[in-house]
Amino acid sequence: MAIEDRAAPISSGAGNLWFAAPAMLLFGTFVLWPLGASVYYAFTFWDGFSAPRWAGFANFARGLTDITYLMSYVHVVLYILATLVFEVSFGLVMAVLLNSDRPGFALMRGMFFSPVVLSMSAGGVLWTFVLDYRTGLLNSVLKALGLGDWAQPWMSQPETALLFICLVSGWKYAGFYMVIFFAALRRIPKNIYEAARLDGANALHQFFHVTLPMLRQNILVCVLLAVMGGFAGFDLFFTMSNGQPFGATEVPATWIIKQAFDQDQIGYGVALTVILTVVVSLISIVYIRLSERANVTRY
Amino acid sequence: MSRATERRRSPAEWLQFGIAAVIVAAMFYPAIWMVYSAFKTNREIFRTPFALPKEWQWGNLIEAWEVGKLGTLYLNSVFITTAAVAMCVLLATAAAFAFTRLEFPGRRLMYRLLLVGLLIPPPSVAIALFTQLRDMHLLNTPWALILPCAAWQLALTVFLMRAYFNAVRPEMEEAARLDGANVWQILWHVSVPMVWPAMLTMIVLNTIAVWNELLFALLFITDDSQRTLPVGLVRFSGYHSTDYALVFAALAITTVPILILYFILQKQVIAGLTATAMD
Repeated sequence: MAIEDRAAPISSGAGNLWFAAPAMLLFGTFVLWPLGASVYYAFTFWDGFSAPRWAGFANFARGLTDITYLMSYVHVVLYILATLVFEVSFGLVMAVLLNSDRPGFALMRGMFFSPVVLSMSAGGVLWTFVLDYRTGLLNSVLKALGLGDWAQPWMSQPETALLFICLVSGWKYAGFYMVIFFAALRRIPKNIYEAARLDGANALHQFFHVTLPMLRQNILVCVLLAVMGGFAGFDLFFTMSNGQPFGATEVPATWIIKQAFDQDQIGYGVALTVILTVVVSLISIVYIRLSERANVTRY
Repeated sequence: MSRATERRRSPAEWLQFGIAAVIVAAMFYPAIWMVYSAFKTNREIFRTPFALPKEWQWGNLIEAWEVGKLGTLYLNSVFITTAAVAMCVLLATAAAFAFTRLEFPGRRLMYRLLLVGLLIPPPSVAIALFTQLRDMHLLNTPWALILPCAAWQLALTVFLMRAYFNAVRPEMEEAARLDGANVWQILWHVSVPMVWPAMLTMIVLNTIAVWNELLFALLFITDDSQRTLPVGLVRFSGYHSTDYALVFAALAITTVPILILYFILQKQVIAGLTATAMD
């Protein structure tokens, strides 16, 4: 991300501000301003209507001892780890599997990608019905296979609810990572594989010793997208369980919304968002630094 | 077509095809199941979940459309998405043009500020944004979604448009400059036609993002007549959680047109969504 890789400007002067000003005004008003306001409100007791009262670090202290809030980070980390398996890794495997010019493969790639364009709410509602205890597709399949005893109320058990949200997330997003890896696979020169084959490498060897190293950069980017997307995760959790059963699927975003809007504790909710912002920014900055360094030492 | 497609398939290729087909079919089946279940009665859905409907109940679709006021939801979504995407892509193109082709005070600082937007998840400002929109008297109007959605998509769109501008040498623009064109004319008549394909990609990328947006839509619009499709669908399935046929019908009405549009525009859609992660 070099900042200065451009040709000489075609014009200079303060008048040129007009080209960037509208975008910056919109961005400043609806992104930077509320971000700054959040930092202020986080230090106040505020119900959203009366005047905010200064609270010092009270909201933060409360947030750091709020068991549900802390557990929501455990859940979101589990979710992110699962997305690395069900989305990124599965997407990579499918990209290799669907990488063929034979008839049928283009259609299969299109079908595999299609859930990505649907809204999370449509996906969430659909899967709520697939996982329904009485009439859901999953339990019907199990009964049809003679495994009726395995049928479970998947979304109302703490042990399975989070797992199934992770699986649905995989269903939704594996296609996204598949097309990224697929595009990258197409750029790997064919003669590298031919050389590997001449050296006696089988398909598995080729995957681990040619494909993976060549996709290194793409994998790093995809992991970053999965981690950042995971922390922002809200839609699927809200649609499928909204924290239930017994808080087993509570993630930071769903808990924050409940604190702020259902309990009228705007100040406290905002403090929780500030903690979330700090956590996410720190993790992504450290990750970007580390992956840049890893590349420098590698090449 | 390469010669590889004319050769007969080897057993390994058949195996590859077979495994891929089973996985893809298993993942696509719930969508098909949803569509034909939309035409069944509740009793059929419960008794014979896999079977096709005995009689296709077109009435389900009409009932869902009317009960869920899906027409209103569609109109709201179309209006909000169109306005937000147009605003975002136009402003982002002008800004990317300024950041790559022009020099002005504060250029680097502005660009760096904009990059902050790439790091921050929307839930982080949702609450402060809510009180701000309330004070601006914008809650429950389309603008409560158009302005924040356009603003939140700006960072990524400028970032990607800037990369496109950097990939094209500014020779055309310089030539126009020498011919005496002013900067506005250059942007409009030279640069925009040049980066138009990239703008199209950004339109697709942002359309999908805004169309599917749930968090802001849920918080900033509480008036039923102003809601967008994703929120409307969640509410609908909440009210009618025992009327399976009706919910499936609403799901089918809201997803099938999107899927058809996707299969028609597949190339552009995939280019738009992968722009996020390439290069």
